[in-house]
Amino acid sequence: MKPTPGRPPLPQRAALQRGLLLALWALVLLRSSADGRLDLLLRAAFHPLVALAGLLLLALALVQLRLGLVDAAAAAERASRRQGLVLLVTAALSLAVIVLPPAPSFADLAAQRPGDDTAQEDLSFVLPPAQRSLTDWVRLLRSQPDPDLFAGDPVRISGFVLPMAGEPPQIARLLVRCCLADAAPVGLPVRWPGPPPPPDQWLRLEGRMAVTSSADGRQLVVLPSRIERIARPARPLEP
Amino acid sequence: MSPARLATAWALFQGLLIEALPFLLIGVLISAAARWCAPGGQWLRRLPSHPVLGPLSGAALGFALPACECGNVPVARQLLVGGAPLGAALGFLFAAPVLNPIVLASTWAAFPNQPWLLLARPLGAVLVAVGLALLLRLVPEAELLQGDLLAERRLALPLSEVSLLERRGGVLGGGVLGGGVLGGGALTAATGTPRRPSLAELFRHGGQEFLNLALLLVLGCLLAALVQTFVPRTWLLTVGGAPTLSILALMLLAMVVSVCSSVDAFLALSFAAQVTPGALLAFLLLGPVIDLKLVGLLGLLLRPRGLLLTIAGASLLVLLIGQWINLWRL
Repeated sequence: MKPTPGRPPLPQRAALQRGLLLALWALVLLRSSADGRLDLLLRAAFHPLVALAGLLLLALALVQLRLGLVDAAAAAERASRRQGLVLLVTAALSLAVIVLPPAPSFADLAAQRPGDDTAQEDLSFVLPPAQRSLTDWVRLLRSQPDPDLFAGDPVRISGFVLPMAGEPPQIARLLVRCCLADAAPVGLPVRWPGPPPPPDQWLRLEGRMAVTSSADGRQLVVLPSRIERIARPARPLEP
Repeated sequence: MSPARLATAWALFQGLLIEALPFLLIGVLISAAARWCAPGGQWLRRLPSHPVLGPLSGAALGFALPACECGNVPVARQLLVGGAPLGAALGFLFAAPVLNPIVLASTWAAFPNQPWLLLARPLGAVLVAVGLALLLRLVPEAELLQGDLLAERRLALPLSEVSLLERRGGVLGGGVLGGGVLGGGALTAATGTPRRPSLAELFRHGGQEFLNLALLLVLGCLLAALVQTFVPRTWLLTVGGAPTLSILALMLLAMVVSVCSSVDAFLALSFAAQVTPGALLAFLLLGPVIDLKLVGLLGLLLRPRGLLLTIAGASLLVLLIGQWINLWRL
């Protein structure tokens, strides 16, 4: 690259613009790591990778900014119009991501996805009934499909209200292997004592398991004795 | 279009983007390391240019340079810029997202009871990569690769490999310095004596490469998030039991869902029982080659014609492999 005589003003230096852009992406990743939104978007295994990538991008941004100020060749490079456009779009986008945190409707998302159908042939360890999460219950019922085995067991679970076509809403959770894009719902039928709560409402249910007969055969249903409305938990996704 | 649905699309977009950005950065760092370790890319030019051995050697590089499909694009670009034979670079681009230790280990972890899948996935990926490389060889490089990539690539190639019509004014590609999409990265070979790029050059090139790819990734993630939100996935899985339809449906799902190849096996696990074995393999083969999230990134390497050929060729090959698996397993 042939250096142009003299240095362009600071806002027009390509290296400084690159540094600013990289810093914006770093901010997106670091802010996402810090404000807890990753719990809503990604499986926990990926969280350290996001934070590490944010730190690396920040380091790269600082190097670029330093080059734009100190290095003669880098400081002489004038930003192209295209780079200015990239700067504007990236700035708008990263600010939008930072300012508008994700607020997905789990019920809406789950309604469009087939339920998780992971076969779990044998469970090596089974928690006592009152300690089982909703996901534990669903997996246990898959490995031991006889509903009579669990009739009368105490239940203490939490989840969101998932509307079901042609039947009462279930209490459900989303399972995620990678990110929200692959979320799949798992749910348990509930015999609601009154009118069912609105979709997406998070609830904590305490009660017992009961067996009901339907056209599909005998199935387990949660008989709640206590229903408590709760805020969405900090980590709503399950692995 | 309800606000709740838009909010869901926004969250999906953030999930896809934030998950993919670290992998993109890894790819750019590998690409920068390759530029630093092998200035001028002489070893790249020693890769075989044989129509079949070339893609095979490129595919084998996946074991050494583990990256999923997003990180793969900058590395494949670096291979092309460095002067690697086209077949080898395409073999890497299309097969390495599957043929790498992380992806094979995750496939094994997701399907430990299906040994046929552990063999069929890498073999299928190699078949698709070789098939695509053979198909894309039919198109002249000048019509296949994007202009700025082609210009940088010609700088790395010996004069004897560049046609007289493509040479410009004494110094090869003299007109493109600094003008390309990613700036003048591999510009040192013009004089015939490759030199190691300075750290400032390396940071400049790597930084610009990341920024341009990130913007394309954003477009891909936006597209994938919107399609995922407004097209119910249950539609695609209702045909799970039909041999051919199930393959086509799962290919479409792989295109739409756009998850990283290192975790797609776990996603496939959630519906494996509902679909035919050929459809399951088709999902695991097509997603790493092409999906909505990748379209923008691949557009940085390939002209629209090459991109369309890649989509059509990969779909056809994966459909044929899926059909064959269904004949064998059903």
